Amino acid sequence: MGVADLLWNYWAAGGSSIDDRLEAARGGGIVYADKHLVVTRTEAPIGLYFAGEIDVTNSHAVAESLCNAAMDDADIHLDLSGLSFCDISGIRSLVDAAEARQTGRLMLHGLPDLLQTVMNVIGWSDLPNLQICNCRGAR
Amino acid sequence: MSTFPAPSAEKFRHEALLYAGWAEFVAGTVPFIRDGVRAGEPVLVVESVDKIEMLRLALSDDADAVLFADMAEVGANPARIIPAWHDFVSRHGGTGRRLRGIGEPIWKGRSPDELIECQRHESLLNVAFGHGQPWWLLCPYDTEKLDEAVIEEARRSHEFVTEHSHVQTSNIFRGLEASGAPFDVPLPEPGTEIGRMAFGPNDLAAVRAMVARHAQAAGIEARAAELVTALNEVATNSIRHGGGNGTLRVWQEDSALVCEVRDRGRFDRPLVDRERPAPSSSAPRGLWLANQLCDLVQIRSLPDGTVVRLHMRRRPQQHLRVVPEIN
Repeated sequence: MGVADLLWNYWAAGGSSIDDRLEAARGGGIVYADKHLVVTRTEAPIGLYFAGEIDVTNSHAVAESLCNAAMDDADIHLDLSGLSFCDISGIRSLVDAAEARQTGRLMLHGLPDLLQTVMNVIGWSDLPNLQICNCRGAR
Repeated sequence: MSTFPAPSAEKFRHEALLYAGWAEFVAGTVPFIRDGVRAGEPVLVVESVDKIEMLRLALSDDADAVLFADMAEVGANPARIIPAWHDFVSRHGGTGRRLRGIGEPIWKGRSPDELIECQRHESLLNVAFGHGQPWWLLCPYDTEKLDEAVIEEARRSHEFVTEHSHVQTSNIFRGLEASGAPFDVPLPEPGTEIGRMAFGPNDLAAVRAMVARHAQAAGIEARAAELVTALNEVATNSIRHGGGNGTLRVWQEDSALVCEVRDRGRFDRPLVDRERPAPSSSAPRGLWLANQLCDLVQIRSLPDGTVVRLHMRRRPQQHLRVVPEIN
């Protein structure tokens, strides 16, 4: 990705700092990382790859990552196949992110079985902007 | 002629049926179901597989209009029974439509922990439905198999009691308000504790790792992820609503691995773990989830805080046979 793309994405995103964008490019597309969770960009399809564990201490990373990755209003593909744990606050962040979108859906790929069960059980598996794709991971 | 006059007041009627032996069970349930069916009322019977089979035979053609569900499945964790009744009432209850149900959550094979949670369930039914639309729930109790203390408690949790074909108002019914009072019956101390840790806001990953390790050691690898997921939510509640920290204890019983979280929080919504969460809301979901994933969840409000115990069976549940012997 060149600087021109970064700048374009920066304006398209309407805000995240250019330093964040450059940092993401240097880190091999890493848009968020902490001790338990790493989020990276994916190019085909356009989206994010989550690896590690999401709980109440880092579930804010979902919204942050979407923002930092300069996503536009098309469908965004989230590859969750690298998640070894995701709690209710993590799912809530996905739901909130999906509902905050004007157009375009969040497409969830590679959902671990238990996570899918949990989403069913807590009544969050049937939302218009949140599509669960029964496929292996998107990459 | 029916021995079951329709309830006079337009409200939820929670009635215990005390039966001894097969004949009294049939005499107490079949006319009740038949009257409902013939009045066009939706009827749901949650019983053991054996009793369902027997009722189908006894009801003959009338059985076609009855919904049946296996109590061993629905009530494996007794906290899942109220949501099942809730679904029945909301799906079939239309405006002002009467309904009938039969549910036998207590049988001789229940463990002491399950029994006490079933008794709590019976009380909470009054809270869950006491202010809602009128429907009639009959709860059979086998007086030949169950201890006198269990029958006594049934008289406290049910406003009406039918015994030898006679229905009476129970004079020791605890009433609607007391039915939802904080549950502060102390939990028995565990045998040998095999794990313990104090946790704070940054220790959730360590809490999960500890529970996963013990689940593996207890031979329940297949359900470790479910237990970890449930326990994580309980510990998260401690961090967010229970004073910011808590204590995790783990022990093994013959039949189950038990994990306990204690914190200084207050638990003052008796039905919060059995109310199906509304979609797209910030409503609490953790305890609801724990009840769907674990075999038993025990919640107590004590003067110094809240205790939540999660039980995961180490062996699959044995097939339940709760049919009375034919005399």
